[in-house]
Amino acid sequence: MDGKEVVINITHLSKVFIRDRRRIIALDDFGLEVREGEFVCLLGPSGCGKTTVLRIVAGLEAKSGGSAKVEGKEVRDAGPDRGMVFQEFALFPWRTVRKNIEFGLEVKHVPETDRADVSKKLIEFVGLKGFEDAHPRELSGGMKQRVAIARALANDPKVLLMDEPFGSLDAQTRNLMQKELLRIWSARRKTVLFVTHSVEEAVYLADRIVVMTARPGKVREIIDVPLSRPRDRTSREFITIRSKVLGELEEEFEKARAGELSPE
Amino acid sequence: MRSLTKSLSKVFISNWLRLTLSAVSLTVFLTLWWLFSAYLRADWPFQGVTPSPSTADYIPYWWDVLRAVGRSFVTRPQNTGGLLMSEHILASLKRISIAFVLALLSAVPLGLLMGRSRNAEALGRPLVELFRPIPPLAWVPIFLVIFKFFWGPIAIVFLGIFFPILLNVILGARSVDPVLIDAARTLGARRGTIFGKVVFPFTTPYLMTGITVGLGIGWMCIVAAEMLGAVGGGVGYYIFAANNTSQYELMYAGMVVIGMLSVLTTGIAGLIERWLYRWMGKK
Amino acid sequence: MEKKLIIIAVVIAAIVVVGGISAALLLGKESKTTGTVKYITIAPKDMKAALAGGTIDAYIAWEPYVSDSVVGNVGDVLEWSDQIMPNHPCCVVAVSPDFLNGPNGVNLTERFLKAHIEANKWMADALAHPSGANYTALVNMAVQFTSRNATVVKAALEHVKYGYEMNQDFRNALKQFTDMYIDANMTTAAKLQDRGYSSTTDFISKYVNGSLLDAARSVTPSSTILNPSNPIRLGYLLGDLHQLAQVVAQNTTAFGGTSMFQKYGLLVTNATGAPFASGGTEMSLGFAAGAVDIGYLGAPPAILNHMNSGVKALIIAQANSEGSGLVVKANSGIHNLEDLVNKTVATPGESSIQFLLLRIALDREGLDLKIKT
Ligand SMILES: Nc1ncnc2c1ncn2[C@@H]1O[C@H](COP(=O)(O)OP(=O)(O)OP(=O)(O)O)[C@@H](O)[C@H]1O
Ligand SMILES: [Mg+2]
Repeated sequence: MDGKEVVINITHLSKVFIRDRRRIIALDDFGLEVREGEFVCLLGPSGCGKTTVLRIVAGLEAKSGGSAKVEGKEVRDAGPDRGMVFQEFALFPWRTVRKNIEFGLEVKHVPETDRADVSKKLIEFVGLKGFEDAHPRELSGGMKQRVAIARALANDPKVLLMDEPFGSLDAQTRNLMQKELLRIWSARRKTVLFVTHSVEEAVYLADRIVVMTARPGKVREIIDVPLSRPRDRTSREFITIRSKVLGELEEEFEKARAGELSPE
Repeated sequence: MRSLTKSLSKVFISNWLRLTLSAVSLTVFLTLWWLFSAYLRADWPFQGVTPSPSTADYIPYWWDVLRAVGRSFVTRPQNTGGLLMSEHILASLKRISIAFVLALLSAVPLGLLMGRSRNAEALGRPLVELFRPIPPLAWVPIFLVIFKFFWGPIAIVFLGIFFPILLNVILGARSVDPVLIDAARTLGARRGTIFGKVVFPFTTPYLMTGITVGLGIGWMCIVAAEMLGAVGGGVGYYIFAANNTSQYELMYAGMVVIGMLSVLTTGIAGLIERWLYRWMGKK
Repeated sequence: MEKKLIIIAVVIAAIVVVGGISAALLLGKESKTTGTVKYITIAPKDMKAALAGGTIDAYIAWEPYVSDSVVGNVGDVLEWSDQIMPNHPCCVVAVSPDFLNGPNGVNLTERFLKAHIEANKWMADALAHPSGANYTALVNMAVQFTSRNATVVKAALEHVKYGYEMNQDFRNALKQFTDMYIDANMTTAAKLQDRGYSSTTDFISKYVNGSLLDAARSVTPSSTILNPSNPIRLGYLLGDLHQLAQVVAQNTTAFGGTSMFQKYGLLVTNATGAPFASGGTEMSLGFAAGAVDIGYLGAPPAILNHMNSGVKALIIAQANSEGSGLVVKANSGIHNLEDLVNKTVATPGESSIQFLLLRIALDREGLDLKIKT
């Protein structure tokens, strides 16, 4: 580790959902440290609790036990210091691009001229110049996710939480957006916790990859990706790491499948 | 003014096809009406037919109806309260406007609350379901005595407008995409802000549906509301009184006026919609 | 696209409204008279509650809605309608010309009128002997028909004058009403011409047909029913005490199991929609639709509906005269018509006989009657 301060500190985190009178243990003793400026990917079989981790850190979900701290403070509620980007974009359809981006500033009662300054810069930064007054329905998927990222950045959050943000994009757009994200990340030096299903995406983006176990989710293995950026997806090192991650995952997939077949 | 004429002429040119289609449907309607009236009277082109005079009086020629509309603005027949049509219009508009504003002010917050809170819903639902199916007409005598002349008819129109708005707002508030609320929360919004900046804007299209339907029902209720004890007349009163003396031309004239007023209020609702959207930061 | 069309429509509608309002302001200056009484339209059944609740200061209506308030100590009668216009016509019996000219129509109508005459005579006798059994029977019938208690009904019966004759006064009064309607724009002289009458006198002479009533006097009872498969379809108003004669004529229990209609060989049934709850115009629609053969209704709706929409329902007998009253709130300090100035009087509507009577009464005192605003 490079000695930077720990921004996200999760220890012994557990989460129990109750549905139809049944207890579903989503997380059990999950622990993770993410340092400032780090890009960490969460990977794991479907239903293992990745989204749950993110939502607890974001403050959208209450934890059942353990601790989740951001900058040393226990998370209690959602707040603008932790920006979140959703797979479904979650843009406000009645607001224009500019107004979507300015939402967080509006909430903070930032004066209108300052808001306009911020949104103008961000729109240029994410490459949406010319679309300021477009409504979300007029945008392509990639453009929507740019707006969502810009909206999260407008609050200048310490932490960016991203839940499969590129999951619904086609392969080309997805690759492009991954590059864009890295550009934004390195320019803004955010701490990113990124959930994905794609091993390749994780290896391409992350400093470290957290492979989770099947439900109840905990950390199975943390794999460093010591490759310099930009990374070449066809390089031997890349493929080696990818195979390693895949191997870890495969076992969990098997377990998850078995878990689905056998009763709780 | 120049921009208005410009935009109007633009509208006419760009919409000429649609305007022609509308004109065609209107012409067909008026032609059929004319033919039917002529048939009942055995007028040209039906000279050979045996006339049905007693039915004919129920279906006047449409130009006679238009003439009756015109005349209603300058004559004061005693059976319609000795009032000019303009005074009737004013009275009805006053009723509809007050009822509409009251319905909006009460139904929107109630609907948002009932749509977002299960407890509020449990509290309100039985009452809503109890009163909603009652036709406003049934309240006429009761409201007359409880609310008196001024508020009685307004209360009837209010009921007509209130429930469509309430139910649509409940539906809208309930269908707010939860991820939008999550997004707002991660952007720093608290409960009150979320209501104002997410739940309410999301509900607006539903609200507009409620307003459009509600105003339509409001105009339907106006005849019932003004049938009894309408102070200062009203277009509904005009129709009711003309019917009482079998003056069908006048009755049709009242109907035409109500139709125009309904278009007017729906137009105003459209303006409200645009104003709301601007207010919410749509444009 | 749609929005622009809406805007155009709004502009047009707005022009109409603005134009109309300015016309109203220009033409709206009215002459001042000594005093104006305000009126409002309410269904008679709601008048008592409105009076008690203070919504109105007075009302004019027919029985039993007058006695209802008096017996209930809610109101006092300021004037009975006979004080306004003695023997004024009120309800009449009318026949559809289609029925009259149909198979056996004249015969059936005459028999119907005979039963009407007999019912009237029986009622006159019953009312003349309040201690007799017939009086009790009549009150019971009226109680059932009007859903009012016996006290109200007894009080009401004192002020209704039942009778079938149509004398010259009756015709003159109907002519006066018609003239007043033309004056008030509620119908027009042009309509009169349209219907084929040269004057209101001509109209009354043709529209009021006394010959059937004359012929009815000599009708004798019949042992068989003449119209077993085509009953006469009778129209009447809901709970209107003025139309009690048809209640009596339909009653079987008070007359040894045979109603007066049956006695004269008639089968009578309620017309579709009868009893009509919202007045004579509703019944006129029944006449127009061919659903009513003979009906009891107010003279004004019979006249107005004929004039304005051509419905034919010839007036063939009177049902009652008088029997309406102007009621003011009890202990309200209103002692004469002048006291009504700037007060609110409820009427059953501008096309009712009660409205006419109120106008006649106020005219005489030089008072105006205007809708409450
Ligand atoms: N609100 C909830 N109520 C009940 N159970 C829930 C709720 N949210 C999540 N769960 C359960 O918790 C477990 C973890 O869910 P989570 O969404 O975190 O998984 P995930 O790893 O994000 O899955 P995916 O990869 O499919 O998105 C799942 O079994 C899910 O069914
Ligand atoms: Mg997930």
